[in-house]
Amino acid sequence: MFRFSLSRRALLYPVALTIGLAILPLSPAAQEAPEGGRLVVAADSEPRDLNPAVVASNGVFFISSKVIEPLAEASYEGEDGLEPRLATSWEGSEDGLSFTVNLREGVTWHDGEPFTSADVAFSALEVWKPLQNLGRIVFSSLEDVETPDEHTAIFRFSEPTPPQMIMKAMPAVTAVLPRHIYEGKDIATNPTNTQLVGTGPFKFAEYRPGEYYRLVKNENYWSEGEPQLDEIIFRVLPDRSAAASALEAGEIHLAAFSQVPLVDLERIGQVPGLEVITEGYEALTYQLVVEINHRNEALADRRVRRAIAHAIDKDFVVDTIFLGYAAAATGPVPKNAPEFYNPDVPVYDFDVEKANALLDEAGYPRGDDGTRFSLRLLPAPFFAETRQFGDYLRQALAEVGIRVELINNDTPAHIKAVYTDHDFDITVSPPVFRDDPAISTTILVRSGIPNGVPFSNQGGYENPELDALIDEAATTVDTAERVALYNEFQRLVVEELPLINVAEWSFTSVASEKVLNVGNNPRWVVSNWADTALEP
Amino acid sequence: MREFAARFIRSPEGVAGLVLTTCLLAMALSAPYLFPRDPLSIVGRPLLAPFADPAFPLGTDRLGRDVLAGLMHGARTSLLVGISAAVVAILAGAIVGTLAGFSSGWFDEALMRVVDAFQIVPGFLLALAFVSVMGASLPLIVLAIALGAWTGPARLARAEVLSIRERDYVAAAWVIGMHPLEIAFKEVLPNALPPVLALVSVIVAGAVLTEAALSFLGLGDPNIVTWGSMIAEGRNVLRTAPFLSIVPGLGLVAMVLGVYLLGEGLVEALARRRIRQ
Amino acid sequence: MHRALKLVRRRALSSIPVLLIVVTGTFFLLESATGDAVDAYLVSLGGGDAELARNLRETYGLDQSAWSRLWLYVSALARFDLGWSVAFNRPILDVILERLPNTLLLMGSATALAFLLGSLLGIVAGARPGSGVDRLLSVGSLALYAVPSFWLGLVLILLFAVQLRWFPTAGIESIASGKSGFDRAVDIARHLVLPVCALGFIYLALFLRMMRAGMAEIWRQDFVLAARAKGLARRRIVLRHIARNALLPLVTMLGLQAAAMLGGSVVIESVFAIPGFGRLAQEAVAARDAPLLMGIIVMSAILVILVNLLIDLAYAALDPRVGQGERRT
Repeated sequence: MFRFSLSRRALLYPVALTIGLAILPLSPAAQEAPEGGRLVVAADSEPRDLNPAVVASNGVFFISSKVIEPLAEASYEGEDGLEPRLATSWEGSEDGLSFTVNLREGVTWHDGEPFTSADVAFSALEVWKPLQNLGRIVFSSLEDVETPDEHTAIFRFSEPTPPQMIMKAMPAVTAVLPRHIYEGKDIATNPTNTQLVGTGPFKFAEYRPGEYYRLVKNENYWSEGEPQLDEIIFRVLPDRSAAASALEAGEIHLAAFSQVPLVDLERIGQVPGLEVITEGYEALTYQLVVEINHRNEALADRRVRRAIAHAIDKDFVVDTIFLGYAAAATGPVPKNAPEFYNPDVPVYDFDVEKANALLDEAGYPRGDDGTRFSLRLLPAPFFAETRQFGDYLRQALAEVGIRVELINNDTPAHIKAVYTDHDFDITVSPPVFRDDPAISTTILVRSGIPNGVPFSNQGGYENPELDALIDEAATTVDTAERVALYNEFQRLVVEELPLINVAEWSFTSVASEKVLNVGNNPRWVVSNWADTALEP
Repeated sequence: MREFAARFIRSPEGVAGLVLTTCLLAMALSAPYLFPRDPLSIVGRPLLAPFADPAFPLGTDRLGRDVLAGLMHGARTSLLVGISAAVVAILAGAIVGTLAGFSSGWFDEALMRVVDAFQIVPGFLLALAFVSVMGASLPLIVLAIALGAWTGPARLARAEVLSIRERDYVAAAWVIGMHPLEIAFKEVLPNALPPVLALVSVIVAGAVLTEAALSFLGLGDPNIVTWGSMIAEGRNVLRTAPFLSIVPGLGLVAMVLGVYLLGEGLVEALARRRIRQ
Repeated sequence: MHRALKLVRRRALSSIPVLLIVVTGTFFLLESATGDAVDAYLVSLGGGDAELARNLRETYGLDQSAWSRLWLYVSALARFDLGWSVAFNRPILDVILERLPNTLLLMGSATALAFLLGSLLGIVAGARPGSGVDRLLSVGSLALYAVPSFWLGLVLILLFAVQLRWFPTAGIESIASGKSGFDRAVDIARHLVLPVCALGFIYLALFLRMMRAGMAEIWRQDFVLAARAKGLARRRIVLRHIARNALLPLVTMLGLQAAAMLGGSVVIESVFAIPGFGRLAQEAVAARDAPLLMGIIVMSAILVILVNLLIDLAYAALDPRVGQGERRT
């Protein structure tokens, strides 16, 4: 976990913490929390569709997770790191060919229809598996979902599917849609995708493009006494400095996803009434990765890739670019996933001399102007830090005689250039670690992925040994065996360096002290906020 | 010439502009000698305040790059962008304007409709779309800015050409059988150019500001320092390290003011001569 | 009035080829871009495979040739159909009409501020050319002209919204306030103060300088000399004779600046989070939504044409000598 995992807020505001503990869902003291109020939150983007069952991305979850619920949510304390939502319990079979889910009773959709196992079966077979970006991977061998009664769903697989992966995937992948609204219509273009209907604590009320999204309290929410808030407003503030200004002016209560730039955090943390919160993102780890085009002759040489790894000062990246709000990475699985993380991998210290020696050895001597060769670097346009790291990498590689030309593209151009046209030498990208290496990590190095798939191995890297390892792990049901395979996977990736993991980070929230229960689960920003409250 | 200089000196605005632009030009020209390193290289502790460390008199930025080096090299690129955009815009405008004014008839009509088309599309919108689509490299940024600036010179050149082409020496050129294009560009254009050149200062000033605005929206060339990109970088730390955007901001104001005042002084001096004549 | 109608018809007809050029140019500009609307959409999905991409391209007709898509667009446009936005999944006309009022309000107010205050200060400066007030105003306005508008916007927010809390930091009106009628108008006005200043000040400087320069010219003309010789009061000469005559070119300038102001509002709308045209254009480019961007550009072009037409009509009404809109520049 990050270096400041010890909650700054817990130390500074014991009162808030006590209140926070007091209103955990099943606590009898729930009435003590203030009820009602309108929470105003900054949103920096406006997703076209808000349907989390189709688009599993944090930008969509941020808003939709309050309306449409998954089977289970991530939790700090719960068993398997999960807390029940629409499911009350779940179990995978020994052979990995079935997965049984018991569903909550007495849940109704926002339009009054009852929620049943048919909704789950429909969502899994018609949406998650065929349409959703992550569900396609997790449920790739899903054959059928049996519904013996209204509150039981049994997932049947054609190939062994590790229950561990399904459980890890549940919070992000299993948002349940109402069958009675979607069935028989085109799901991707259904107007309900922008006028969500779900089972969650809040109902979708209104969207004013460019201005705000408004959610209102669901009076019939299945959890007694929740939600606390009357209304949540997501106010669209696209400008980088807008969130901080609006917070200070008291116009909004909360800015999540590091919308307040890191450099501003120290200052804004001292503004009376505002606090900086780093909890609530543990299951949303982003990785800063240098992706490499192995079609480039120089980069195909492992010594050159190792030299690049040695040329990067990870401490500088963590301390200066991320101002300490990150950790240096050692491999393709972040430390935030302790059940998978393998610390026992080769280490590439920051060592310019070694980098130079490796490059000399690889047969790339410095020319008269001190340059060995040139590379085109395309930093992904997604986070400020990605571009800053691009600026840094250009300078770091100049130190070892590699001339770098930076090419800043906007999003579509970047995706096309890197993932379809392969028109790059190196790129800086910020993939999300989706809590299980099988979901979104192995795809970054597995060969044989067709052109045009964003956030996958498009660098032309091929390693039969690694591919075999990935395939074996994908169908290994036993958790211990599976983890052992992923440990080996990490070692091999770091040794061969098909890509270079530099740092792992997550976001921060800045909130008014009046907002209670901020950051009380590992996916807090994208969870349902049923227990979030606002002091008058 | 001396008389002209004397008239110019009498306008305090013009002199102020001359002083400002000379200083900025000196900065731009001396930058590679005073700061031979790439101004983007990381040389010190990040976010050093100005005057705190004698090695970095204006402090360092978010990554530890020397602000003074950036300022000097930035003067170079900002001036370069401004002047090149003006040259491209005036050249394109003068050529199109001359062709249109000289040919008349349907060709004139067609060219002027193109000019109309460019004129009714907001220039900044066009530049924004052009750079996002074509990529953010310095030559393309210059071109994008010029795309929104060439219509003014084109219209002015056409108006001038319309009045010039009826003059005696043009008629004479026709009589001796010169090629129409030769007449247009050898006889007419040089005489139509001076009033068009009066637009230079406005275009340069506008180009510098447009480049800054493009950088502000994240559409600058990342391999080169410009004042616009420095401001864009600095605005993220506007509250904690305001000097990072104030320093290049002042540079920008000085440059726009200098160029504009200089231009105005020159035009005024020219105008006075005309009045006296 | 018959003449005015004729002018309108002539303008409308001559606008058609211009609009065609604009549409074609915009279309091919976006056509030459790397990445299309589907690439942009896939990113918002967080990824997707080749088959999904192919299906989407088919759905939106992106698999057809550029020319046939352009033809489809233009023929639909002739029926006043702006098409369907891939980025918003809604009819483009709806998307545009939703944003138009905000931009019109912002531009209109900024223009009014710049024109009124600019010409007023211009009169003050031009009343005594060369005086201290004149020099102060003209240098001050130039400095204002040289400050980048986005920078001015950020500083205004920090000063008047965050520190003093006189005005809201961003937006066009209070969110979901339930206000209506007069209250709502006041609310919107409060939100507009800062962005209008940030956008209008540059043009204020421009109008001020033009007014001043125009007046300086007129001071030297015979009828003014005659008026002064008659011993008319200075104030009267300034207002009755000089300012009035110097105002006319400013009206022309207004038309010329309409397009520039629309462009300037892109940055201001981004800084102040106002859902207007400029920001929509930025979103359209980022989403490679060619029909949407064309819709925006066509609409702003029509807007500029309309503004100029109005100015010509005003001119024609003011001055009968200005014939059929022959305000050729």
